[in-house]
Amino acid sequence: MNRIYASAFALATSALVAGPAAAQSVTVAVAADIRSSNPGVNRDDNTDDFVLQLVEGLVGYAEDGTVGPLLAEKVEMSADGKAYTFSLRKGVKFHNGAELTSADVVWSWNRYMDPKTEWRCLSEFDGRNGLKVEAIEAPDANTVVMRINAPSALFLDALARTDCAMAAVIHKDSLKADGSWDKPVGTGPFKIGEWKRGEYFTMTAFDGYASPKSDKRDGYIGLKKPLIKDVKFIVVRDPATVKAGLTSGAIDMAEILPSDVEELRKNPKLDVKIAPNAVRHTFLFQTNDALIKNVKLRQAIAASLDMTELVAAASSNLGTPNNSAIYPSSAYFGPVEKQGFSYDPAKVKKLLQEAGYKGEKISIIANKRPTVPSFPAAVVAQAMMQAAGINAEIEVLDWATQLDRYNKGNYQMQSFSYSARFDPALGFEQFAGPKDKQPRKVWDNAEAQALIDKSMVISDKAERQKLFDDLHKRMIEEVPLIIYFNGLDVIAHSKRVRDFQPWQSKMRMWGVNLAN
Amino acid sequence: MLRFALTRILMALPTLFIVAVSVFVLIRLIPGDPAQLMLGDLADPASLADLRARLGLDRSLPMQFAIWFGNLLQGDLGQSINSQQAVLPLIAQRFFISAQVVLVAVLFACLVAVPAGVIAAWRQNSSLDLTLVGLATLLLSIPTFWLGLLLLLFFGLKLEWLPVVGYVSIGEDTTRGILYLVMPILTLFLHEIGVILRMARASTLEVLRLDYITHARAKGLSEGAVLWRHAFKNAFGPTWTLIGLVLGNLLGGIAVVETVFTIPGLGRLLVDSIFARDYPVIQGCLLFVAFTYVLVNLVIDLCYPIFDPRVTAE
Repeated sequence: MNRIYASAFALATSALVAGPAAAQSVTVAVAADIRSSNPGVNRDDNTDDFVLQLVEGLVGYAEDGTVGPLLAEKVEMSADGKAYTFSLRKGVKFHNGAELTSADVVWSWNRYMDPKTEWRCLSEFDGRNGLKVEAIEAPDANTVVMRINAPSALFLDALARTDCAMAAVIHKDSLKADGSWDKPVGTGPFKIGEWKRGEYFTMTAFDGYASPKSDKRDGYIGLKKPLIKDVKFIVVRDPATVKAGLTSGAIDMAEILPSDVEELRKNPKLDVKIAPNAVRHTFLFQTNDALIKNVKLRQAIAASLDMTELVAAASSNLGTPNNSAIYPSSAYFGPVEKQGFSYDPAKVKKLLQEAGYKGEKISIIANKRPTVPSFPAAVVAQAMMQAAGINAEIEVLDWATQLDRYNKGNYQMQSFSYSARFDPALGFEQFAGPKDKQPRKVWDNAEAQALIDKSMVISDKAERQKLFDDLHKRMIEEVPLIIYFNGLDVIAHSKRVRDFQPWQSKMRMWGVNLAN
Repeated sequence: MLRFALTRILMALPTLFIVAVSVFVLIRLIPGDPAQLMLGDLADPASLADLRARLGLDRSLPMQFAIWFGNLLQGDLGQSINSQQAVLPLIAQRFFISAQVVLVAVLFACLVAVPAGVIAAWRQNSSLDLTLVGLATLLLSIPTFWLGLLLLLFFGLKLEWLPVVGYVSIGEDTTRGILYLVMPILTLFLHEIGVILRMARASTLEVLRLDYITHARAKGLSEGAVLWRHAFKNAFGPTWTLIGLVLGNLLGGIAVVETVFTIPGLGRLLVDSIFARDYPVIQGCLLFVAFTYVLVNLVIDLCYPIFDPRVTAE
């Protein structure tokens, strides 16, 4: 009898909790709430991920990190490399039913370039960082021309950047009558639904969506069909609760910890998908430090690390070592980039002797955020360094404090992760530069900087590859940092969710289907 | 009584001012600022300068304090850097969610723990006493996050009686709202039983040893009358004080329970704000917590005469 009562109670409560629309909707757990729905304004990665399902830019990233047309049908560059002509795709509609025209592109761009908008990427286009969009014109309803101050290989890349929200084209209805932000009325495959701060945010399929012509999904471009009616993102911070939610079926999809993969793979109701992304996990060196400035010491540290073991421990045996600043699925990841540091205890002894190292303490700063392997990697590296006779010690800080020390250049060694940059020039630029102007920079080398600057101007792929190969060799030789592997997207989802494929930490929900 | 209450509130003002200044200064002494966190490793100097100016972080500290304190005097706690919501309504909204969990849990804990503590003291050193004390110690020793996860596994995953993830407000849907609150309330309830039972037992034991209890028994009063009419009323004072402290403490933050059960309460708001260096929210939350603490203890003090007529507001 007790069992009957229990079953009835379970049935009644699950019916109450599930709600009627569960079959057509997907519930995704995310670790943090979005900051706003305003593209590229008050943002973080989580916010970008959501907003970029609602809005689109003229160009976007393909799977291999190259840039391709999105709202544009084609993009043409002038002979002098200073004018870009975007021909818009026809039949593209905003979520309010209005058709996309060049006037919308110009209006959106001018809004972004107005400092009052507080666009995160204003300084990338107003000349403060070199590149300046001097004019934007709409010669006809389907054509937009953007003129820049100097030829740049990175102009389209900058337009496609996710932290810039792809410079998304939005409709004027996105603003309230007083000009303040209301909600995104974009052209994306999903429309914004409800947002309950701190709890959840939702989106619904846009029936009038016009996908780029393609037969398959390809990054942010390619086929983009919304096949699920509703997607609800709920904020769940605790990984143990995420696991419980996935197991119970309350959550359909979530990023999980690499350490939980084995357990969740055993669950017959769940699938686990793993894909490398462009995030780079590294050990940074402060080359201005009295001890660490010794290149022989840095080379010794690099040689003391068994990359295979280190990556296995930091990724729960899921990752593969990569010492390059370029991620493996990039179009620029070639044979040279596959060459990296080699574990060589005998060489370590020799290098330490040459460096005149006398057992001085080396502090490794790390943080314990569950989303990055900062701490576990530091622990393994510390053990390996100690085994090789290097006196390493870990200093654990909270992320904000570590970031402050990084920005001020106040450290000897850090276990640090760089966010994804698709173009290799930007990937190198993230850590290379003059320390006197930007103390956060790790690699202060004029020759390397000249190569990076050159790669930002040249558009020819073969030429750029040579530059990146050269930069990689120099980086391995000088060891300003040790990149040891790329981030992993580890997603568990219910088997009723079909055709989901993780890509660059983005929960792309277009093309995702449900089993029934 | 009114004069007493007013005096106590006025006496709390310097405390709140000290809290305001300390929180403002201390949070800024911790390295890192919200602009750096928002831009992460992509913080080029131009973007960082833009954002700092936008957030008012480029002003001097005294200037920032003057602006914040001036607004505070007008009842404006500022705007969240993260969500850009006004801080006061944000705190009120989150506090309401935390308060319903805390108040219900503490009420039920009192209803169970106080009589249990009195009975344990009455039957001191008996097997009942040892069982109750042992149980209280066990409940007190279990960390709330672990207890929460155990409940989640048992009621959520094994029995599938209760939802494991999410939150629905009672105002939105009463039945579902209650279902979502059962486990967090049960977690706090079990933990606080341990705290209150031990105090109720200890204070009752002290009273039971006093001469007037022996006198009451000598008069031939029944054990029930001795216990509830004479012992309990006098022994309840310290437990009541403890309940006040527990309430003040829990109302200020049950971040761990809120994180495990995905409840968007005040504790989680505070912890998230600290990690995000969301200065206005941190300042607002801590000031609010201090005010709540003062208020709860004032109410507790004002209630003393109800239990013990010897205590007066004067």
